[in-house]
Amino acid sequence: MLQDIHIFIPAYNEEKTIGKVIDEIQSYGFKNIIIVDDGSSDRTAEIARSKGAKVIRHILNRGAGAATQTALEYARNISSKHLVLMDADGQHHPEYIEKMWLDMRKNDADLIIGSRFLDRHENIPFLRRAYNWIGNGLINITCKYHYTDTQCGFRLLNRNAIHHLDLQIDNFAFCSEMIINAERKGLKIAESPVTVRYTDYSLGKGQGLAEGIRTIFSFWWKLIYGN
Amino acid sequence: MEIRIFQVVVPVLTLGFIINLILKYRKNNATAYELGLGILFWVCLTLFAIFPDFISRRIARLFGIKSNINAILFFCIGILFFFQFKLFSIIKKQQKEITFLTRKIALKEKEEE
Repeated sequence: MLQDIHIFIPAYNEEKTIGKVIDEIQSYGFKNIIIVDDGSSDRTAEIARSKGAKVIRHILNRGAGAATQTALEYARNISSKHLVLMDADGQHHPEYIEKMWLDMRKNDADLIIGSRFLDRHENIPFLRRAYNWIGNGLINITCKYHYTDTQCGFRLLNRNAIHHLDLQIDNFAFCSEMIINAERKGLKIAESPVTVRYTDYSLGKGQGLAEGIRTIFSFWWKLIYGN
Repeated sequence: MEIRIFQVVVPVLTLGFIINLILKYRKNNATAYELGLGILFWVCLTLFAIFPDFISRRIARLFGIKSNINAILFFCIGILFFFQFKLFSIIKKQQKEITFLTRKIALKEKEEE
């Protein structure tokens, strides 16, 4: 399993956490770690390379969605069998990857979405829960099925999903776009419970209200006008 | 008919802008679409400057608005929204192209490593 999985981490100015994140993933035996450095102006790429990760570098900052699409295209180029998407701020526990992989096999799914709301979720800050509740509501009305966490960036894709998904949105709205895109292409989606570590750093890095509004706007724009 | 100052100034300005647009087009700095749209805009503005009362009354009647001033305001807001939308679409398209290029460069560099 370990050799089949490529872990992609879109990162923008994450020099404070990227080293620890890579160390932690490697401690679980995963060797194929690829950082998509989204035009960082700090030492993110340098630290990632020094830790043994591969680095794909955007010369300009284009957003988390753009970096994820770059990861998808690279995964296609290297014929990756499984692709894991994780955040660079240390929110996601690599210990869940195996559970997600097992859930993928159990459900015969093409895309596994980590869900913070399937299990206990008392560690999620109130504001974050409120944003997610609104986001889930606005996205679920456009989906065929109901998802408990449309905004979680912790995901596992199999080869079928890697080959079929095509993301157009550059910002955080890619999380929702990926679900809609997967449904339209007939991919099977399942959720797997995950717990997320919230720190002052990760909360500061996450989407605020303004970014959330921009995200929802670009998602709906894409849905209505298709670009 | 009493001639007001803007009824002279606007047509003169229009003539200048249209000549400028034609020169740009001849130097390949503007497309035929931009030239046509520009000429249409300036001609409409000139007609409106020459016959302000007549045109505003016609617009008011066309949209069923009682006051011709309100009709002009609604009409202008509509035009502004249209151009805002056009501008936003152009920006989105250019952003998409920048992302596409950024990605191609990143993947090419990785391939060459």
